[in-house]
Amino acid sequence: MSTVAFITARGLFGRRRALLLLPLPVLLIGLALICRAYGVSPDMWGQAVIVGLGLVVVLPVVALIVGTGVLGSEVDDGTIVHILTKPLPRYEIILAKYAVAASVTAVVSAVPLFVTGALAGSIKLGGALAVAAVVGAFAYSALFLLFSLLSRRPVLVGLVYILVWEGLLGNFVSGTKNLAIGQYVITIADKIAPTEILQSTIGLTTAVVMSAIFIVAGTLAAINRLSSFSVAGETS
Amino acid sequence: MSEAGVIHDIGYQRYDGPRLGRFAMQQALYVHGLRAAYGLGRSAKAKIFPWLVFGIMLLVAVIVAAIRSLTGESVLSYLEFAGQMSFLIIFFTAIVAPQLVSRDLRAGTLPLYFSRPLRAADYVSAKFAAMVSAIWLLLGVPQFIMFLGAAFTTKDGVKGVFNELGDLLPGWGYSLLWALMFAAIGLLVASFTGKQAFAAGGIVAVFLVTTPIVGVLSSLPSTTANQLAFLSSPMTLLAGVGQWMGGRFDLELGRFGPIYGIEAVCLIAVCLLILLARYRKVASL
Repeated sequence: MSTVAFITARGLFGRRRALLLLPLPVLLIGLALICRAYGVSPDMWGQAVIVGLGLVVVLPVVALIVGTGVLGSEVDDGTIVHILTKPLPRYEIILAKYAVAASVTAVVSAVPLFVTGALAGSIKLGGALAVAAVVGAFAYSALFLLFSLLSRRPVLVGLVYILVWEGLLGNFVSGTKNLAIGQYVITIADKIAPTEILQSTIGLTTAVVMSAIFIVAGTLAAINRLSSFSVAGETS
Repeated sequence: MSEAGVIHDIGYQRYDGPRLGRFAMQQALYVHGLRAAYGLGRSAKAKIFPWLVFGIMLLVAVIVAAIRSLTGESVLSYLEFAGQMSFLIIFFTAIVAPQLVSRDLRAGTLPLYFSRPLRAADYVSAKFAAMVSAIWLLLGVPQFIMFLGAAFTTKDGVKGVFNELGDLLPGWGYSLLWALMFAAIGLLVASFTGKQAFAAGGIVAVFLVTTPIVGVLSSLPSTTANQLAFLSSPMTLLAGVGQWMGGRFDLELGRFGPIYGIEAVCLIAVCLLILLARYRKVASL
């Protein structure tokens, strides 16, 4: 299991594409620093930077790139066969990949969010954002890992989820908020450190329970899918 | 029975039909690109995503047209349509741009293309034209449906129809601006990777990341920064250009209107130039 995790991590960081993960967090901290340097009140820019950039863009996009990268790219290349033919239970493969994806996403998104939160308000706000980002990273990773087994084009399915479900429908249809990971993240951060910047729309219990359901159900479904995974040619 | 002196005649023939030049190749690439954008001539799986987006856009247009014909109120003008649908256009760009250029990189067809009289500029212009047409159709067809809904229920007769047409044409022009901008940026990002998945992620990241910068700059305590804030994201940049050209978008541009026009033109031109430079040299895999 540790070997699978090691190889996955190397596949993620060994190539140039790991650099793709760098600009987003740097931009997040950079914007916060600029606003701080100009002495603008955090009430003015906090919403745009922390929610608009950090929680709505950086966290899901990083989770999407990493979450579909750990398994989706192996399916794409066909190298998944090498792992599947090893005498390993399928759940070990999924758990190893999931652990790598979730922890990388958590580190890449929680650290800049902590810094941004600390710049915008207090260390407490930073901590709350970091905790929420870690929860979000685990939930998003479970979902995107499942997507990469359900479809040959997991990134597009994930983008439908981020752009259409959370972005477009979230604005018009309030009912979808109970089924959007982004809302759980905002709620958790807001309940730990209540500020003007974050506005939660659902209850804390709902957020925590639903996040847990996403994590567990996503992982179980992914294990189930990998157990009966068939290797076929690329889609045309 | 073969003639004397010929050992085997297995029927090889020289091609002596007409040889079409660069223009025909460009045209073929354009048609193929436009078809590929909507998944035509490909499997059902390739059609899901483009037609999903197109379907949602059509649905919105039909709803707007229906409200217009029932109540007489215009809930969404032709000019606002693109801005309201920006997430879907970003998504469509993320679907189509990798289809058009990343697949060629991945499949190693570029050395085959460029071993013909086709030049890099031809390739880039054909792909760009195909992508612009695809995005413009995505916006223009729903706008036309909105126009039909309004034109058939107008109470002023022919004059009302011409008034409506006068609103539609600038809307189409503005959609063309969106198509040019999104095609240029989308193709540029997609041309750097052969993996469609990463290209799609990269395109969405580029467009989404720029939006909050506008919010930040708008909150700075300087009127100049506020008026220039909309330059930093393609979507608001286009709205700024529309405002400068005389549309109504409720943006506070001050005297910086021309800068928006200049930046839009420069951005598209620079993207295309980088794209050209990128295809000066293609590796054969």
